[in-house]
Amino acid sequence: MKNWWFLRGVRKGILTEKTPKDIAEWSTEIEGKGVVNCPTKAIENGKWIAERCIFCRRCYPNYKPNLNYEISIIKGTQKLFKKSFFIYPIDAGSCGGCNMEIKLISSPQYDMTRFGIFFTNTPRHADAIIVMGTLTEKMKEVIKEAYNAMPEPKLVVLLGTCAISGGILGEAIPLEASVLIPGCPPNPYTILDALIKVKGGKK
Amino acid sequence: MKHYKWSDKGEGRKIGKIGNYCLYDKVITEESCEETNLSPDAKYYGAFKFVYGPSAGGLLESIKFDITTDGERILNINSIPYKIRKIKVTGLSWEDALLKIERINAPFSASHIIAFLLAIEDAMNIEQDYQTQLKRIALLELERIRNHLFVIARLTEAASLSVPTFHLLYLIEETNRLIGKLCGHRYFFGVNYINKVNCNFEKLFKILDIVKEFRLIFEGLLESRIFIDRLQQNGILRDRDSIGPAARAAGLEYDARLELNILPYKEIGFKIVKAEDADAFGRFLVRGYEIIESSKILIELTDIIKDNTNTEEYKAINDEGEGLARVESPSGDLAYYVKIKEGRVTSAQLLSPSYVNLKSFMKSVKGTIFTDFQFNWESFGIWISEIGVNLE
Repeated sequence: MKNWWFLRGVRKGILTEKTPKDIAEWSTEIEGKGVVNCPTKAIENGKWIAERCIFCRRCYPNYKPNLNYEISIIKGTQKLFKKSFFIYPIDAGSCGGCNMEIKLISSPQYDMTRFGIFFTNTPRHADAIIVMGTLTEKMKEVIKEAYNAMPEPKLVVLLGTCAISGGILGEAIPLEASVLIPGCPPNPYTILDALIKVKGGKK
Repeated sequence: MKHYKWSDKGEGRKIGKIGNYCLYDKVITEESCEETNLSPDAKYYGAFKFVYGPSAGGLLESIKFDITTDGERILNINSIPYKIRKIKVTGLSWEDALLKIERINAPFSASHIIAFLLAIEDAMNIEQDYQTQLKRIALLELERIRNHLFVIARLTEAASLSVPTFHLLYLIEETNRLIGKLCGHRYFFGVNYINKVNCNFEKLFKILDIVKEFRLIFEGLLESRIFIDRLQQNGILRDRDSIGPAARAAGLEYDARLELNILPYKEIGFKIVKAEDADAFGRFLVRGYEIIESSKILIELTDIIKDNTNTEEYKAINDEGEGLARVESPSGDLAYYVKIKEGRVTSAQLLSPSYVNLKSFMKSVKGTIFTDFQFNWESFGIWISEIGVNLE
């Protein structure tokens, strides 16, 4: 019987990875020297500013990615969420890339639930709101409503360069965030690493 | 324009509205591109309004549906995309415009970038290198496989079939990793230029392992009554103005890959996948078999793509002109019409497949019930990102 999904799942075995594998170069830390014409001013005085980088390769080969995916900026953690952490993603005006990558942290390779991270369908049950994309006019009120609907304590996660700095397409999200996850879009490993850190958990 | 001509009235298959014009399969017209008239919101005894969205767990992006219902049936529906982005490309060089175009919709970014570049090349009268054309086909087919896997995963998730859902998510991640390995970026950002694709296709054959695994899941799903019952007779749409998998599911042989000679699909050869049911099940079937068909194209390309070929730098004959190009994105026709002057974009118009598919979805959803909604919605593979774009 081909649709005995349970048996099929068992036969496939464990696919979850203990150590990161096959990370795409672009959307990891950028290193290099020299002056370059960066469209978002992510390289100033030879210093790379992750929050502004859209990983467009205009700086290549002077600057290259070094495969370090731990590029998130943690501004505060909340240990109360150590055991279970419910996240509510909200799309302010993204290109769909961040939406795909946040979905993929639930894939067997990453399996976010082993770290006690779960999606919730309503901000009323959320410990953190994950905002992605640039700020668009109609979504301003929706984000505000979703944020106000969340119970205390609550966290804000800004996912992707668009949400953090506006990137190349628009305005950033004007919410004070506990964690910034740079990338265009961020790598799933970067997202998972940031979420584990902000909830005060261990990998 | 090399592949299109201006016409007073439409001829052939109507694709849809592109800026202020109307696009057909071989011509573009200045006539008003008539919008599909949805019937007015009639009054029904005991009916009330139900709002779904703009931000809800079941929706991947921000869109609001105002649904008129008398309990379970959807009597009427209105959709309002909630994320409207103004993206300015006029006045920019093609290279600067490219950074913005590839961020219109990441899951279809290869389709957007390639259609845009083909339009620019058309306007500048640039002859494309054959190897570049083959590499572009490889990007489009990889994108098609990833997207169809994602749509099918969303369908199985809606049916609460967790094992195939996670197995499909595993395959999507594997496809993304393969794309990342070939091109350095999981969504093809920063790899496409005029007459150049900056990817190394040495490991392209690995797509075969992914598709082999998919085949087993697909066969299992075809035997699952729990799954099939949710799709059959759901969202029936037989409309000559539909595009992509929605049209092919209704037996219409619409496919930009074979209608135009912009990319050498005819030389490689492939079969257009069709179904007859015209419902969500038909759209699921088309996507499933297209994954297999696309993998055959990619395997054929592994033999003929030569990465060592030195792609010649482009030589533009014009620095002023207009260009129009259309490609078959995973959800149907996607076109750009651009005008350039002194190498800068002076005007750009977009026809996105999701815009056309949203209209098709709205037609198909009336008379269905709430529990069928998610299956019907996911089967069209709509991305609000590309609908909510005002290209300036």
